[in-house]
Amino acid sequence: MARISKRIKKASHPAAGGALKVQKGLSFLDKTRRVMRKAVVSPVLSTLKRRNEVKKGRSQKKSAPKTFARIDKKMTFGQARYLTTSHPAVGGAIAKATRIQKKMTFGQVQYFTPAGEPRRPEAAATGEMQGYRIEMAELPKEYGKDMIVLQVRDPWWLHAYWEVREGTLQKLKHELLALFNTAKKALRVYDVSFIDFNGSNAHRYFDIELTRDCLNYYIDTGAPGRSWCVDLGLKLSDGRFITIVRSNTVTTPLDGPSWISDEEWMVPDELFAKLYATAVGLGGSPVKIKKPWLELQKRRFASGGISSIGISPVRKKEELKRKFWLAVNTELILYGATEPDAKVTVAGSPISLRTDGTFSLRFALPDGKQVIPVHAKSSDGIDQRTITPVVIKETK
Amino acid sequence: MLHDFYDARRLRYDLRNDNKMTKGYLCLVLHTHLPYVRHPEFDDFLEEDWLYEAISETYIPLIDVFERLVRDRVDFRLTFSLTPTLISMLGDSLLQERYLKHLDKLIELAHKEIERTRFEAEFNRLAHLYLERFELCRDVFNRYQRNLISAFKKFQDMGKLDIITCAATHSYFPLMQVSKSSIRAQVKTAVTHYERAFGRPPRGIWLPECGYNPGDDLFLKEAGIKYFFSDAHGLLHGCPRPKYGVFAPVYCKGSGVACFGRDLESSKQVWSSIEGYPGDYNYREFYRDIGFDLDYDYIKPYISSDGTRVNTGIKYYRITGSGNDKKPYVYEWARDKAAEHAANFIFNRHRQIEYLYEILQEKKPIIVSPYDTELFGHWWFEGPLWLEFLIRKLYFDQEIIRMITATEYLEENPRNQVIKPSMSSWGYKGYSEVWLQGANDWLYRHLHEASRRMNELVFGYPHTNGIVRRALNQALRELFLAQSSDWAFILATGTHTSYALKRMKEHILRFTRLYEDIKANRIDERWLNDIECKDNIFPEIDYRVHQ
Repeated sequence: MARISKRIKKASHPAAGGALKVQKGLSFLDKTRRVMRKAVVSPVLSTLKRRNEVKKGRSQKKSAPKTFARIDKKMTFGQARYLTTSHPAVGGAIAKATRIQKKMTFGQVQYFTPAGEPRRPEAAATGEMQGYRIEMAELPKEYGKDMIVLQVRDPWWLHAYWEVREGTLQKLKHELLALFNTAKKALRVYDVSFIDFNGSNAHRYFDIELTRDCLNYYIDTGAPGRSWCVDLGLKLSDGRFITIVRSNTVTTPLDGPSWISDEEWMVPDELFAKLYATAVGLGGSPVKIKKPWLELQKRRFASGGISSIGISPVRKKEELKRKFWLAVNTELILYGATEPDAKVTVAGSPISLRTDGTFSLRFALPDGKQVIPVHAKSSDGIDQRTITPVVIKETK
Repeated sequence: MLHDFYDARRLRYDLRNDNKMTKGYLCLVLHTHLPYVRHPEFDDFLEEDWLYEAISETYIPLIDVFERLVRDRVDFRLTFSLTPTLISMLGDSLLQERYLKHLDKLIELAHKEIERTRFEAEFNRLAHLYLERFELCRDVFNRYQRNLISAFKKFQDMGKLDIITCAATHSYFPLMQVSKSSIRAQVKTAVTHYERAFGRPPRGIWLPECGYNPGDDLFLKEAGIKYFFSDAHGLLHGCPRPKYGVFAPVYCKGSGVACFGRDLESSKQVWSSIEGYPGDYNYREFYRDIGFDLDYDYIKPYISSDGTRVNTGIKYYRITGSGNDKKPYVYEWARDKAAEHAANFIFNRHRQIEYLYEILQEKKPIIVSPYDTELFGHWWFEGPLWLEFLIRKLYFDQEIIRMITATEYLEENPRNQVIKPSMSSWGYKGYSEVWLQGANDWLYRHLHEASRRMNELVFGYPHTNGIVRRALNQALRELFLAQSSDWAFILATGTHTSYALKRMKEHILRFTRLYEDIKANRIDERWLNDIECKDNIFPEIDYRVHQ
């Protein structure tokens, strides 16, 4: 177990060159797939990421960049050439990512927007919030407990957040004395698939060392379809691991079809492959059953909830290549006055007068000649007047 | 104009009579949701427009389509989810009042537009079209006594719609796995709320964001729900392998609740931003609204009260092409395109169904196509028209596909495979990343703690009455409102973030104060009255469902 954990541990620090070693046990195809999955950042994804690389409080400042740095790292690795040549989108994504310059503060959350990208009008509109500015207390940073919660993000990634009371740390300090000062806060991630975990029977584990003030972390498990449990604890210089608090257990989904077939509802591989291809929109073309999810992802069209808010699920606004433009339109204002009880028509259509007998009309004015007879008739029908402005508009 | 064309056609069998020619089924699912946005403390509130726009652009145009179909005796089946938050807003008298005010202003604007565009015939026609539409909205809205739920109920009672429920406040279940009692409470509250609105229990549920985690089906079973929908990989990656892929439902192991899988092939034709129908050049351009295009002084009374330009709903251009030079919209061209696209959709379903019918042999396939309802009308202006053409063509012009609801399918095919579906969602990348990323992962610390505290309250106060009971019920309301997946989603997309942030904080803080006050036995009744008025969702809520 120790050997395995060492291997994985290395892997969790790709900066040290471990990224590929973790995949030793996998076939070449699997390796490529895994790397592709994380490294091929579509422009959409990168935009999303850019928007969302949000640091809040002190909790994320250290951990979030680590996660993303890992992705960047992989892109510059051995596969980089392969990836960039076959997926120009990746190159674009990196280039774009470097454009993140402007930092904006929005409440307690800091957003990064790429330079030169104006904020959407909707966002500006809510900036003022129509006076919706109730003085509000901030949410608590912590709830004064020792706790850790583990959640599944997708087949490969988990998210853990935690808190530890100052008192608990003090107690540990008293117990551990000098060892405490050199101890490192760490997550120990146990693979507890198909077992009743008792703290020492995990299939394997790997450790992630944390900075002191880190309060959450995204964990790359590298193995879909497994169950996981995480201990937050201290790694002592003598090699011991002191558990402070243990998480709930979660199970990640598979990233492809199950290999288990039903006896009663047996489905031949070939047929299942056909059904799979049809369902994901590849038509009847035969695909290998283990067709990576990536392929499916490229072809799927997900909604993400409330579609009337934000961005159209079906059509994006066209962006101008250069952010400069000009629009000119003309309108004609026609106004006048007569007796308040007179009947007035403009170009044949009756209009209503204000109580003082005045009126004003506004027309979009296209190019060409507009003849606009204004006719007024007194209430007794005896007096009549017609005035006919003729307007010629020309655009050069 | 549509019905004239079809009137001469022969009358068809009712959809209930299975035809020997039928080779498969189409189950269209429209998921209809908006977060609970209601601010009685302000005269006018920008985010409330989400509801007004959805009513004018989507809900009423769809009701209008259903009415025409019924009048012309065209049988159809749609599965229609209505979230409890939306049902509550549609039934709220303050919001109904405000919608009519909103509509009156639009009608006034349309009149002005008719006058203003007098010298521009192509725009003038459109201004008339908008006026007609807005007046139709007013008629329909008033005809149903301002409560559109009664319209949807009517079509359900006729057997045309199968209305299903959703989690009480559209909370995303896969990220509530440490708050199971909240999942139970969300489902139970939704079911009770549904029964009050529709006079019978719901048969199915739309899991928010199609988010499923194995085991959640047990809560559905507990609440008497018979089926739900998952994304394609929920079924395809389930264990053991589903024999019919996504083209037949399965029963969940342990609960026996049926799960229908989404077909991506049919979704793609409508959803896709590249090859999807809504991008056709003849369709209306969403991004050219007179709220942004016209002279500021003229349009000011019809945009946001703080003077920010917003969409009014009056849009004069067609998509035209990829450039910025847009040409005026021509309704007839767009209508013809919608008919063409409906025919194309059916053509492709025929290919798909014939292929599946052949390889499945003993089973008639069901194709499940879910969409966000707001796609039809709001984002894709011609969407309701397309749907109407689709339904009419399916009814009159062919016999291979039959529209069906999940309930009917299960009645016809009670024997199905038992599997354990896989965790999945229909969000970007298929899992939880949209709702769990740097922009929003901090929410869960507060949401999970609040849920745990709610458990503590329920456990500590099993029998209460008077003000304590009111406070406990309000605490659950605040928890529910905080749990809406919408806040996490909005934070992730980066638009309207400050509103989502405020809402989230507001509900958590109100919950926290209630929790502390209840425990300290010092409930401030005036404040409680105040927040009961503001967050007035689920008047009949019972806090004890949270356990």
